[in-house]
Amino acid sequence: MDVEKILDLGGPLLLGAVTTVQITLISLVVAIAIGLSLALLKLTRFRPLHWLIDVYVEVFRNTPVLAQLFIIYFGLAYAGVKVASLPAAIIGLGLNGGAILTEVFRAGFGAIHHGQREAALAVGMTPWASMRWIILPQTWRITLPPLGNYAIALLKDTAVVSAIAAPEIMFYARNLVTSTFETTAVYILAALLYFCLSFPLARLVDRFERRQRAWQ
Amino acid sequence: MGELQAFLAVYQENWADWSPQIAAAVWNTVLLTVCSFGLAILVGLLLAIGKLSRVRLLRGFCTAYIEVARGIPALAVLFLIYYGLVPLGLVLDAFVAGFVGLGLSAGGYIAEVFRAGIQAIHKGQREAALAVGMTPAVTFRVIILPQALRIILPPLLNMLIILLKDTSICSLISTPELMLRAKDLAMMSFLPMHLFLLAGVIYFLLAWPMSLLTRRVEAHMRRGLRSAAP
Repeated sequence: MDVEKILDLGGPLLLGAVTTVQITLISLVVAIAIGLSLALLKLTRFRPLHWLIDVYVEVFRNTPVLAQLFIIYFGLAYAGVKVASLPAAIIGLGLNGGAILTEVFRAGFGAIHHGQREAALAVGMTPWASMRWIILPQTWRITLPPLGNYAIALLKDTAVVSAIAAPEIMFYARNLVTSTFETTAVYILAALLYFCLSFPLARLVDRFERRQRAWQ
Repeated sequence: MGELQAFLAVYQENWADWSPQIAAAVWNTVLLTVCSFGLAILVGLLLAIGKLSRVRLLRGFCTAYIEVARGIPALAVLFLIYYGLVPLGLVLDAFVAGFVGLGLSAGGYIAEVFRAGIQAIHKGQREAALAVGMTPAVTFRVIILPQALRIILPPLLNMLIILLKDTSICSLISTPELMLRAKDLAMMSFLPMHLFLLAGVIYFLLAWPMSLLTRRVEAHMRRGLRSAAP
């Protein structure tokens, strides 16, 4: 295997990597938005809302992402709602991640001693201010490592969206294989590319975790 | 309401045709999960022992394997094993490629679970066991492993659930399991919504009881640890 060949195959794969990163980032933002809002809503005392959120979390955590993506991409098209592959990928991964992060944030809020909130209210902070200045900053610290781990898992899960034709790394890899027949080289390069993306992220999460242990 | 009835009526119409095929596919999914979980535990245990060993080369290899396995999507591993090895003369059955790929990939995670469990046991336990005359092998089996198991069991069960869900991606290398059957039937009948929902419901019915069990085991193990504390 020579350098020229690697460059020939690497170009399109890098193009796919850009989409992979885009899908990962946007889905991450969607998942954080869903997870944080639902975890906050679970702090209210309105019971029916709790049940609805629980159902959402259980359903999405106990079914494969691929099934969710197929329902959104193929299933909804059958029902008359056509969703393009990129938005479908982001909706699917975002909803899936929202369920995971709801639990992460809920656990984060749960880890803050209730005395923190009581003290904040006692010194005259409004409920909103105590959330903003006392609870959230501490929750953030606790949830950062699991959030980072989720981001890595999400990055790797984006490989699955090639099944609904979203043009990311695996999608380009499959196309390259049909046009060049360099099966082994293409799939090794694709795997390597994922590793180059996820490994620095894993090291970063590792550092967060270690720093947090030192802090505790 | 009428629409829902019409939607459900489709299942009724096709049930005789679908149910035997779906049932066979579900069996394959379960088999695939069990096989890949078994392989992952074997690989994970070997890697964990290797990573904790004093032989530097072995430790380096195991650490590298764990990092690489955790940094690559299972789908990329599956494609590499199923398609990527063909030019090298290694043609694998789609089922074998599926469970080997998932097992090798999950092995990296399970290795970390095992390692964390073993390392969480205070080294005084081992020293005490050796001091009363136990051999290192007996110490590991009788003293370390039982204590490590209570730490290891919850994340191990979690991994089993993740593997069950991940078997669905084996459909992309044409392993004959639930997702592939659902996709094939959806293409033939032009009823994607019905079949993918059905597949989703079946995965849920398989995974949810395991999730509930995992949560109970988790609570149970935690309670044990708390009462053991001074």
